[in-house]
Amino acid sequence: MARWRERLRAFLFPPEADLWLGLLRIGLGLQVLFYTLSLRADWNYLFAGPGEGLIGRALPEALLSTESPLVPRLGWLIMLATRIGCSESTALSIAWWGMLFAGGCLVIGIFSRASAILAWFVHLCAAESGGFISYGVDNFMTIGLFYLMLSPLPDRYSLDQRWRKLPSKNQRLLGFFRRVLQVHLCLIYFFGGVAKCLGSGWWDGSNLWRALIQPPFNLIAPEILIRLKYLFPVGGIVICLLEISYPIFIWDRRTRGIWLICICAMHVAIGLTMGMYLFAFVMIVLNVAAFGPGLGLARGEKLVRAPAS
Amino acid sequence: MLRQQRVYLALFVLHFVLIITISCRDIVWLVAHKLTILPAPFRAAAEKLEPIAAGVLGDKLSTPNPFRRALLTYLHIAGIDRGYGYFAPNVPAGYKLVFELHYPDGRVEYELPGVSSAAAGLRVATLLDEIGRSRSDPLREYMVKTLAASVWREHPGVIKIRAVFGSLNLPRAEEFERGKRESYDFLYAYDFSRAEEPAKAENH
Repeated sequence: MARWRERLRAFLFPPEADLWLGLLRIGLGLQVLFYTLSLRADWNYLFAGPGEGLIGRALPEALLSTESPLVPRLGWLIMLATRIGCSESTALSIAWWGMLFAGGCLVIGIFSRASAILAWFVHLCAAESGGFISYGVDNFMTIGLFYLMLSPLPDRYSLDQRWRKLPSKNQRLLGFFRRVLQVHLCLIYFFGGVAKCLGSGWWDGSNLWRALIQPPFNLIAPEILIRLKYLFPVGGIVICLLEISYPIFIWDRRTRGIWLICICAMHVAIGLTMGMYLFAFVMIVLNVAAFGPGLGLARGEKLVRAPAS
Repeated sequence: MLRQQRVYLALFVLHFVLIITISCRDIVWLVAHKLTILPAPFRAAAEKLEPIAAGVLGDKLSTPNPFRRALLTYLHIAGIDRGYGYFAPNVPAGYKLVFELHYPDGRVEYELPGVSSAAAGLRVATLLDEIGRSRSDPLREYMVKTLAASVWREHPGVIKIRAVFGSLNLPRAEEFERGKRESYDFLYAYDFSRAEEPAKAENH
């Protein structure tokens, strides 16, 4: 029993450096910047109140209230802003600028914790108030920002650390939060892979064809895609196997590099061929932060300072 | 194990039990609703498993129940309120919404719900999927009406808008080679005018 407990402790609380956290912070900071800038022209239109904008946030927020009144939403920020005399449009603009500011701060690592909380909060508000217009990227941004704000920030690559010379963080706590991210990614790919394996279209390649020709993901003309039709069944099966076996092969140091590269290549392909750039980027950031650092080291190998020659 | 580590371990277990339960619930739902390639015995088993997952996630509790609300709040703020079956088990049908804008002089123009950027365009596609998948007629009508209102603000001279909602039929690769192209199946149409409440004109 004691041995199992020790093994569990060693797995969940391995001493870790904070490179992974630096990668996560910078990557998610860039993601927040790209997300915010990509919605610059449509922000107010997407999240406006009743009688304005595309679909409005009134219905998603009302549905959310019936589920739980405690989930953050843009309506809270707007109510707060209107109490101090700001219009709804100004409040939405402040939220947009706030998120842009938080993204910029995360990239350079200034006010890291506060910026992570601000980015998580405003993004969550937008994702929840968006409701019907939210998709996978919002889910993964929420997951990433949630872990980032709870992790032991700031990391040593941040300006915070350089300026304030804070004591170094608990390495076991750093290891714990990296494990959380790693295990979560394993579950994401495993269940995503299982769900795909249960559909006939991933075995005969028809799902890949459908995904690539369906608007608005049809960036490549079907006349070009049809020339690659023999690759679709192989591609579909490879995606299923890659995802479902991710929790096995990503842990072994001998196969980790290959699996990480293949998964990142899959996301690059999704981004380039389907126009889901934000989705692709956030997945690559999460994967690289979780499994990237220490990739080149063999089992039991440690980085040591070489003697000067 | 230190006391602090025990607390982290408990939170770790709780967090991942929720993630696994939600992911299993989604897959069980797919199997129970005959959306997978699994044969009938699996469907029967899935139907039995569905209430168990629902029970763990508090779905059977009343809406104002504090435990249910606290759990839902946590699921939302951690971003773990849904599973990860994107484009699975099969790529679903897409949808299209076209507005016919009728002017006082008899002119008719056609308009799609539009946004400025490609990033927002992906969100409009998500919205159309939500409308298409909705089983509630009033909800679907409300959403189409709200979209029609956004078009109306851009075209104040219009006297009537007819919203036509359809699902997309994609050809298989072999069919595409034989010349078949994408087509749309009519699903619903709604007429909206300034003076009166919207009335559903037709559906399939």
